[in-house]
Amino acid sequence: MTAVITDPFDPAPRIVPVLHNVPACELAVVKELTVSEFSLAATVWKDYHETNGDPAQDRIFGVFLDGVLVSLARCRRHGGGLEVDGIWTLPSHRGHRFSSMAVGALVEACHYDDLYMYAVSHLTGFYVRFGFIPIPEKDLPATIRERYTWAAGNLEGAEVQPMVRKAGIGTIFLPS
Amino acid sequence: MTLPIPGYTLFNTPRHRHRIMLILVLSLVTIGANLFGMIAGITLVLSHLLYFPIILASYWYPRRGLLFAFVITSIYALLVVLFAPAEPLLNIITLSRLAILVLVGGIVALLARNLAQSEQQLHDIIDFLPDATFAIDREGKIIAWNRAVEEMTGRMKGEMLGQGNFEYALAFYGERRPMLVGLIVGGEEIPEKKYPAIRRESEKLVSELFLPQFYGGRGAHLRFSATALVDTRGNVTGAIESIRDITDQVMTATALENTSNRLNTLSGILRHDLSRKLAVLYGHLRLGVMKFNDPDVITFIVGIKESANGIMRQIETSREYRDIGATPPAWVPVQEAFGAAVGRIDIGRVVFHAWTERLEVFSDPHLPTVFYHILHNSFKAETGATKIIATYHIRPEGCAIIIEDNGTGIPEMQKAALFIQREDSYGRGLFLAHEIISITGMTIRETGIYGKGARFEIIIPSEGYRVEGMGK
Repeated sequence: MTAVITDPFDPAPRIVPVLHNVPACELAVVKELTVSEFSLAATVWKDYHETNGDPAQDRIFGVFLDGVLVSLARCRRHGGGLEVDGIWTLPSHRGHRFSSMAVGALVEACHYDDLYMYAVSHLTGFYVRFGFIPIPEKDLPATIRERYTWAAGNLEGAEVQPMVRKAGIGTIFLPS
Repeated sequence: MTLPIPGYTLFNTPRHRHRIMLILVLSLVTIGANLFGMIAGITLVLSHLLYFPIILASYWYPRRGLLFAFVITSIYALLVVLFAPAEPLLNIITLSRLAILVLVGGIVALLARNLAQSEQQLHDIIDFLPDATFAIDREGKIIAWNRAVEEMTGRMKGEMLGQGNFEYALAFYGERRPMLVGLIVGGEEIPEKKYPAIRRESEKLVSELFLPQFYGGRGAHLRFSATALVDTRGNVTGAIESIRDITDQVMTATALENTSNRLNTLSGILRHDLSRKLAVLYGHLRLGVMKFNDPDVITFIVGIKESANGIMRQIETSREYRDIGATPPAWVPVQEAFGAAVGRIDIGRVVFHAWTERLEVFSDPHLPTVFYHILHNSFKAETGATKIIATYHIRPEGCAIIIEDNGTGIPEMQKAALFIQREDSYGRGLFLAHEIISITGMTIRETGIYGKGARFEIIIPSEGYRVEGMGK
């Protein structure tokens, strides 16, 4: 059995043997998507509010397994700051730490800016591992806050928690 | 043939003669029409015809416009007194009409004077430009010929203005041919095969030529650059061309190139000889490893081999230094440059991540060498680094490529000397990196904290980077 591995430094996919006792995350490759790969992201995000990437303001980080995009994280540049969202793994590929790989890549790539997000409430612990801390909604930049205007301040009802990862907080050397 | 009228220089110029004749004819016709109208009992409509000679005279000759309007209105007033029916209402209307005629003449004269001043300023700017400059209109006639081009060609402005049929080219090439302005006005495509010396730089056409017949046969290297003159609707109305004498620069560059070639030849010979000697040394070392079993001797041989490796790297660095700046800068994909750099290093168990996928920088093509020398230090076992990350950060002043590791870092006291030429091998690669990036205005600094890791920041000016799909 073989797998196609897309390496950021090797445009030609490599064929490597898949070992049955090797964890899937060790065979996966994480990379930042090129503009031509944004359409792949749109396919993966189809079940995630039909999200679409915009190359003019987004950096998207994806995990490829056997040459197939299975997990995503997006960093969107707003007027007032950078927002992390679109963290999504195909239901068929969950449980292999692919989201950790995508978010880890995003944090490594974008950690020189403050990163804001609306985290799903029960996942705040996951993001704390990457240096995010919960904050009151008023501390979010206005341009990012606009997205949840419909909740009228009742974020508990919407089951989301505003969080921030401050630039320059130190360790970026997350477990790979 | 028209004989000149002594003392009337204005009237002796064909263009002015035509204008003056037109104004006189218009004046006579309109006054005649008014006289006829008054006799026929028409006193209201025909007086408006007087605007035509007044407006034309005031526009073409602003200094005399008001006086001319006054004269025309006076003649009209006289005709009214002599030939129009004597009615109080008509007198009032006539008086107000006379005032309006004079007022129109005055306003047009004022506007025309301001316009003429503005045009004169533009001509003065072109006239005093340090570069030889001329311009042509859509028909190819010369409309500007400044002092610098007079000095360069010996052809005076007075004799050149208004000339067509590629007269400007005679001054440079001794033959009539379309120069860059001619090509622009002609709207021709510029085939590279026909004009290999011409290149397009943004909206300009540029070419550099040696003209052997220039300066009395001494010859000159000239740089020509031309651009279209367009109206508010974007239509080409003419073109302007500047010519700069670059003979001194070309001679200096040629001399430098010759010197550089000699030095390169010398350093090439030295590199070749050193490589041969090193090959012999490596051979002896291999034999030594096979011949001796004593661990102390083996350790000694390994030490010599490491020194030989260092010399080999110095030779490589010297070869790279010879090549930098030799190829013109270009847009370089940063991720590929990191890939090429890492491909030259044995990274061992160190994890390396580069997050620069869509970034391109305008750089000397040796950008991978820059990354190689930065990464080479981080990958050394003695730094203790287990992970290296490269990313970029967009800042108000441009973009920073940041390469950081989690090794021991660089002591504060060593940072200042990192990028200057030094005797030891550590600094020389970084000196080379600094030299390469500075070609396109980039800078480099080390901002890590000793004990926590090294961090190199390459700062790219705003115009020197772009991110695919980001419109920047």
